[in-house]
Amino acid sequence: MNATILPALAAGSYVHWGVIQISVANLIVIGAMLLLFIAALLVPFPGSANAARSGRAGSHSRSGTQRGQSE
Amino acid sequence: MTAAKRNPLIEAEPGPAESDRNWTARLRRRITRTVPPGQWLPDRQPVYVRSWIYVFGVATLAALLVVLGSGVVLSVGGSAWWHTSAVGHFVNSVHLWSVELFFAFMVIHLWGKFFMAAWRGNRALTWITGAVCFVGSIGTAFTGYLSQSNFDSQWISTQAKDGLNAAGVGAYFNVLNPARMLLWHIVLLPLFVGVLVIAHLLLVRRHGVVPPFDATPPGDAGRASIASDGSPPAVEVVAVAESIIISAQITTDPDDREVER
Amino acid sequence: MTGMAFGRKPDRTPDAHLFASREYDLVKEFVIATAVVLGLSLLLAGIFSSPDRKAITLQAWAQTAPNDVVATATAELAGTSTSASYGPPYNNAAAGQQIGPIKLQKWAGVRIRVDSARELVLNPLAGIQGDSTLADALHTWQQAGADQQSNWANHYADALAAAPDGNPGQVKSADYGPVPVLAGRFLQLAAGGGLDSLLASPNSFYPLDQTRALLLLSDGSYLEDQARAEHLGGDQWGMMNESGNYPGQPWMWLYTFWYQIKPFSTSGNADALVWGLMAVLTLGFVFLPFIPGLRSLPGHLGVHRLIWRPAEPDSRSG
Repeated sequence: MNATILPALAAGSYVHWGVIQISVANLIVIGAMLLLFIAALLVPFPGSANAARSGRAGSHSRSGTQRGQSE
Repeated sequence: MTAAKRNPLIEAEPGPAESDRNWTARLRRRITRTVPPGQWLPDRQPVYVRSWIYVFGVATLAALLVVLGSGVVLSVGGSAWWHTSAVGHFVNSVHLWSVELFFAFMVIHLWGKFFMAAWRGNRALTWITGAVCFVGSIGTAFTGYLSQSNFDSQWISTQAKDGLNAAGVGAYFNVLNPARMLLWHIVLLPLFVGVLVIAHLLLVRRHGVVPPFDATPPGDAGRASIASDGSPPAVEVVAVAESIIISAQITTDPDDREVER
Repeated sequence: MTGMAFGRKPDRTPDAHLFASREYDLVKEFVIATAVVLGLSLLLAGIFSSPDRKAITLQAWAQTAPNDVVATATAELAGTSTSASYGPPYNNAAAGQQIGPIKLQKWAGVRIRVDSARELVLNPLAGIQGDSTLADALHTWQQAGADQQSNWANHYADALAAAPDGNPGQVKSADYGPVPVLAGRFLQLAAGGGLDSLLASPNSFYPLDQTRALLLLSDGSYLEDQARAEHLGGDQWGMMNESGNYPGQPWMWLYTFWYQIKPFSTSGNADALVWGLMAVLTLGFVFLPFIPGLRSLPGHLGVHRLIWRPAEPDSRSG
């Protein structure tokens, strides 16, 4: 199965900025990672603290004191 | 242990003198002490585990599985299979892209753990195993690039030899010998990374997810204020020095503190 | 284990198991993650595939860049090629790189002995049967002293460099001894495909060790020319790159960065210096929890406040 979208093995596209030379492909990867990281920090995670209050007795600790951590 | 009915064939409780001599009992106790009871696969997590950043550890693990799986399929066809077979080339592509995802998720996981100072609370070894895993993964990927048997391998090997020779290790790790590098790639380095991953996961299960800075558990009036500078105690420094053999650290009692009832 | 006097500052991070908990399905999370990653991998592989530029055989090299092959063979005979003048682990022609007084390359010693002239050029030629001109040239070369051999080879190398395109056919007439014949026959051997198997694991049926073949290939300029055309050169951040438009190894950015700037970019010890520097930085990375200042940085940076946001007010009602 050969590449269908990108040209195969021509010299890639590069961005030059001072001493920095980076391929467009690598730039996209790094950019995507940064976006993913920022999104992970900002996007709310499903479920709220209420779930803890209704938690059953935990297998969660040696002491088994996780039952009813609500005050 | 209650006096409930116990099948004597399964676990005869040895007396004190016997338990010291019985290697099986000693090993069993070490294994069960490694992680607190119920923590091998907990179905609950602390409430502060509530961010998407936490999924990148398991994403890295999942990517590693895909890397290993695609690598196993490549092994079936042999190292030159992907040059001559479209299916082989596709499997190679899966292997390549899963490696890219593996590194991407691992680095994001690393960023998250850094900003959480996740080494706090006796977790320095968790950080260390993760960091060494990262370095080991780079080495594994590197030997993978050497094993492509194509132009890339030729160039990478002839360039890399200069760095390795300058460090005095080039003869012991001869990158110009693809038969050797292939075995490093599929046996030695995956074994090294695999052991580290297992140790890393055990430590995460053992210590649990690091609490936030300045966090106080409920009903914790008796506890002193939290130092949030992220410094590990000196005992951890000694433990790291001693734990060249990791099992020495991970099989002693975790979190040496009295649990409040 | 008790604490010891280590400039100790107590870490009072509470036990994670003492906190309130909520239901969390690790196995489901893992299965979903695996499915997502597998799906992504299959998708990316299906769309973008992977690069596979064929290896440059010695035959292809000879057919595509014959002048480079002749020049390389001459340099091997002169002892001026990269491999011939490398030093450990291949020979003692040079001391190798060092970091100040630390000479790891030299101290490691010659462990993979390669006599470039003999193993890469003369031995393969000696296997050719039925060529009396070649046999005479080999005999003349072997009978001459080292100084004479060096004289011939270096003069021929200079002449090749002065010729248009390094073309052996346009070299000025002079006494180069048997070198032109040796280099010319070497080119024929390579172009005919006979050289590839002779250099891989000599005296073995299975060509498993490509050390000599790769040393010869990298002694020429063709391999590097091809690599540089794809931005794979050391001073092109090449360690990060891949052929074509594929992503490479972005995680190598810091390792390759040093090669782009002084003093590394102009140093003959660049590899040793960069390796040493990266070894120190890697140790710092691994043992970060023990480095004062660095280990307390996350607390000051405050990114953790985005991870551990306060619970919503309505969740605190019973």
